[in-house]
Amino acid sequence: MSVLTATEQKTRLKRTFFTKGLVIATVSGMAYGLYSAFVTQAMGQGVWGSWYGPDTVLSAFVVVYVLGVLGSGINDLVSAVWAVGIAGLKGKLMDFFRSVKTRPGMVIMACAVIGGPIASAAYIISLQMAGSIIAPITALCPALGAILSRFLFKQKLNLRMVIGILICLAATLMIGWSSLQADARPGAVLGCVIAFIAAVGWAIEGAVAGFGTTVVEYEIGITIRQLTSGVVNLLVVLPLMCFFAGHIGLAPRLVVDAVTSGGSMIFFVISGLFALFAYSLWYKGNSMCGTALGMACNGAYSFWVPFFCWLILGVFFGQDGWALQPIAWVAAVVMFLGILVIAVNPLEWFRRNTSSLMEEVA
Amino acid sequence: MLPLNYAILAQFAHGEEADADTVMGALAGAYSSARQFTKKAVVEALMTAHANGLLDETRFDLDDRDQLRIYYQATDSGRDMIHRYIGV
Repeated sequence: MSVLTATEQKTRLKRTFFTKGLVIATVSGMAYGLYSAFVTQAMGQGVWGSWYGPDTVLSAFVVVYVLGVLGSGINDLVSAVWAVGIAGLKGKLMDFFRSVKTRPGMVIMACAVIGGPIASAAYIISLQMAGSIIAPITALCPALGAILSRFLFKQKLNLRMVIGILICLAATLMIGWSSLQADARPGAVLGCVIAFIAAVGWAIEGAVAGFGTTVVEYEIGITIRQLTSGVVNLLVVLPLMCFFAGHIGLAPRLVVDAVTSGGSMIFFVISGLFALFAYSLWYKGNSMCGTALGMACNGAYSFWVPFFCWLILGVFFGQDGWALQPIAWVAAVVMFLGILVIAVNPLEWFRRNTSSLMEEVA
Repeated sequence: MLPLNYAILAQFAHGEEADADTVMGALAGAYSSARQFTKKAVVEALMTAHANGLLDETRFDLDDRDQLRIYYQATDSGRDMIHRYIGV
């Protein structure tokens, strides 16, 4: 049996590592799509149906702003339970407790607050104020993440990668185009500014926490992330928003009603599991193949979210209004090309293939 | 006791050169009972640190079983980060 030389083994190892990073980052976007579909389903079942229904007893402010925070908090806390369970099964719980009180652990916590409660609340509020016109603004987060990583961590960002990111951004615009024309609301400008805060928040989380998983193991990192996000959402943001709604005592009542609503909790259990993979693989993918490429692969969620909403909510549960526009398929192809441009230098690829062809001929 | 990933990086805190086997040898006493203490996990941690500019590859060769060995050393910024964030 012939033995591979050291150079051949190293090339193979590096290629495997890079491909694994790409697959992980791509799967994170798919998991984000699945999490979005199931969390939407959860927030339409049981007590949520009456909260969002025409005969709701809740004020417009609570329906528009508070319920989103509640849903996000419950999802993240359920996700944290999954994360603790998986960390326990894999024998990582002691490392979790050791990591929490260290500086890198606290950095992950700060990222969780920025990307979780702050960015998510900004996203929900901007969506309510400006409608889906904000989608292309929040889709700026991979580009912003790549720029941040360039300055904070000296990561590579060349012209080819910038072009690839722009292609991915154009693909996201294609998906959001129809809604972009459809609903411009009076509060749209302020909504867009708030949406930009969400994009910056996610960019900071992707860049800093992605880099942070170089030190904190990614499954431990995600346990810290989901616990922090869930607890801050439910114990800080939710009561604060109920206070602004004029009734702070509403917060515990909403939480109790939501978690005892079996019809919706079963879907939160599923969405929490997918959220765990969406975020943990996002962090790991970014740390393995760099923020620019990792976030571009993850950013394909702008295709996976409508795709899985169509498949799960539309096809499986038979709900109307989830049809996938044909433009989304075209955008998915464009996005794939954009990711390819970021990942592969066409000159190197051509050189490598030409030389292997020459070797075969010889 | 440090979390495993921290301990792996801490091996490079003072300019040492090491490959995955050397790191595992140094940590075996404290971490051999940990389920995630595998060669695959250590190699991946080192490659991730390299991909993020904390470690530099210094050389590579084959051991007596024809298995690849890649040696790493902390970069200046990597060493600085290990001191500041891991505290060794």
